[in-house]
Amino acid sequence: MISIGIIANPASGKDIRRLVSHATVIDNNEKINIVERIILGAQALGVGRVYMMPDSFNMGYRVEEKLNTCDELRCEINVIDMYRYDGIEDTLAAAEQMEKLNVGCIVVLGGDGTNRAVAKVVKNTPLISISTGTNNAYPVMMEGTIAGMAAAATANGSFDESFYIERDKRIEIYKNGVLEDIALIDAVISKETFVGSKAIWDMDSIDKIFVSRCHPASIGFSAIVGSRKIILPKDDYGACVDINNNNSKVFAAVAAGVVAPVSVSEPIILNLDDEYKYTTSFRGTIALDGEREIQFSEKQEFVFKVTRHGPRRINVKRALETAQNNGFFKTKNDSLI
Amino acid sequence: MNITNEQIKNMYETMLKIRKFESRAKDLFAEGKIPGFVHLYIGEEAVATGACANLNNDDYITSTHRGHGHIIAKGGNLDNMMAELFGKETGYCKGKGGSMHIADATKGILGANGIVGAGHNIAVGAGLAAQYKKTGQVCVCFFGDASTNQSTFHEALNLASVWKLPVVFVCENNGYGISVSQERHQAITDVSVRATAYNIPGITVDGNDVFAVYEAVGEAVARARKGQGPTLIECKTYRHRGHFEGDMTVYRTKEELEAWLKKDPIPRIEKYILENNIMTEEEIKEENAKVENMVKEAEKFADESNVPTLESALEDVYTDIVEEGRVR
Repeated sequence: MISIGIIANPASGKDIRRLVSHATVIDNNEKINIVERIILGAQALGVGRVYMMPDSFNMGYRVEEKLNTCDELRCEINVIDMYRYDGIEDTLAAAEQMEKLNVGCIVVLGGDGTNRAVAKVVKNTPLISISTGTNNAYPVMMEGTIAGMAAAATANGSFDESFYIERDKRIEIYKNGVLEDIALIDAVISKETFVGSKAIWDMDSIDKIFVSRCHPASIGFSAIVGSRKIILPKDDYGACVDINNNNSKVFAAVAAGVVAPVSVSEPIILNLDDEYKYTTSFRGTIALDGEREIQFSEKQEFVFKVTRHGPRRINVKRALETAQNNGFFKTKNDSLI
Repeated sequence: MNITNEQIKNMYETMLKIRKFESRAKDLFAEGKIPGFVHLYIGEEAVATGACANLNNDDYITSTHRGHGHIIAKGGNLDNMMAELFGKETGYCKGKGGSMHIADATKGILGANGIVGAGHNIAVGAGLAAQYKKTGQVCVCFFGDASTNQSTFHEALNLASVWKLPVVFVCENNGYGISVSQERHQAITDVSVRATAYNIPGITVDGNDVFAVYEAVGEAVARARKGQGPTLIECKTYRHRGHFEGDMTVYRTKEELEAWLKKDPIPRIEKYILENNIMTEEEIKEENAKVENMVKEAEKFADESNVPTLESALEDVYTDIVEEGRVR
């Protein structure tokens, strides 16, 4: 039976960026609507089972009830049986389970942080990342129905994946030779001394930015580097820049509704697997994909490395083009109707 | 947001005061020394501490039936608080209010409140007064998740938004309204999303992380002082004890409690303090001993104070304002 996984983070879309910028609130009822459309899109094209992460809002059960009530549910919804911590642990555990269950792909609803958590544990299962916020660089905003159709086309497993699946880069952060954490898009060294509410909105507190990719059409810290140089997901390198070091300023979309001038140096190119050593000279934090995660004190050594060990990302548009080229949408038999 | 080591030490001391005061109140209630009810704040210390660390002495707070933590964080006197719990005449309400009615107008503490959801509109009144008098004061309104089902929540947030009042609504979402879990009494998981209905910012923070609360409330207070209106901040937290002392908590699992105990806000701030060399282990021990002594002194003060006399039974019950109104 063709199966897919869905991880919908109930906590995304409500952080402090709604207070310090103009980010959008996405409530969990809206996430339920998106999940519904993913399932309807996927089941129409042959997905028979959908595994879902359990969550505090019981999104899986609510979708099941709603689709059953209107007599539209054709596939099986299986909420993974695991202890719920109502934290990032749930995303990690559910993603791990889904990979073990050999789902054809995982659809992730959340922000950069949710995708980073999934990317920590998923090695081979391809991802479709749907943004449920306005301050995300990795996931993109898209219609759930289309995401569901692309998930079905991928999980079907009949097409040449090289047309539409790419393995992404990631930034690996090592402390004392041990992998401490990863970032998918950017890692930022900040003078903020505690993790607190996680986001960073004071540009004066930033010392350095590492990126795996950057573009002026992005939002957040990678947009700052992107205002100097464009680095695409396919490029086999990343970069790092110094911030607030008397360099000339560029305008960048640092947050939703916030286009700020930021002093930024010329980017230093970091080729894949190059090691960049950094010794801290103050107490601060490292923000990963926009969220403060690692606290450090003075004279600690970190190594930053851009690698090609990120998740396998599905290009939804190309997946559907590939499916169309292979006649996937033709109604050959009743099983697809 | 910058924060000094001194501020961190102060926040730690406040959290310890709340924890140790409440822990002693638990024992004293069990011993029968405290009449009436007590609703303890153990486990939620980071919310009141982080929020009140942004306030001036003349800023206002409104509180709830679980109010000891808010009052301590806003500078309430432990001696008078304990005496009030004991029903003694040296208490904040001269022993006639008990746990759920402690107030101190000199510190902007507009009162704990036995009525669920009653603080919302009092906070709006305080905000309106501050705005009208152009004093620059703000009011932080503390309330629980279940109180946001009360009509007062709607009335308060609607009016505060329309009039852009300097009020910060701080929801302490501990997952339960008495014994009813949030998923059984609300069609949402995040109270913060209700802010969209009032066109004000609504955010959710980790209520067991004092720095997260401090930062979020700090931004909201700054916004309120600039005349930009109210904010709704939801702090996800958990009470380690029952709704009230004597509640057997049969409605929640051991696993759930254990998971939250791992997120206890006090060991979290202690870890940060030690890792960043803000205090040594020895200094932490000394701080604990100092606060324990404060609580012992408060208990002694309460113990040695007199109960109100029979003759004083009607004193302070009716105000002159009411009498004047009657005469007119």
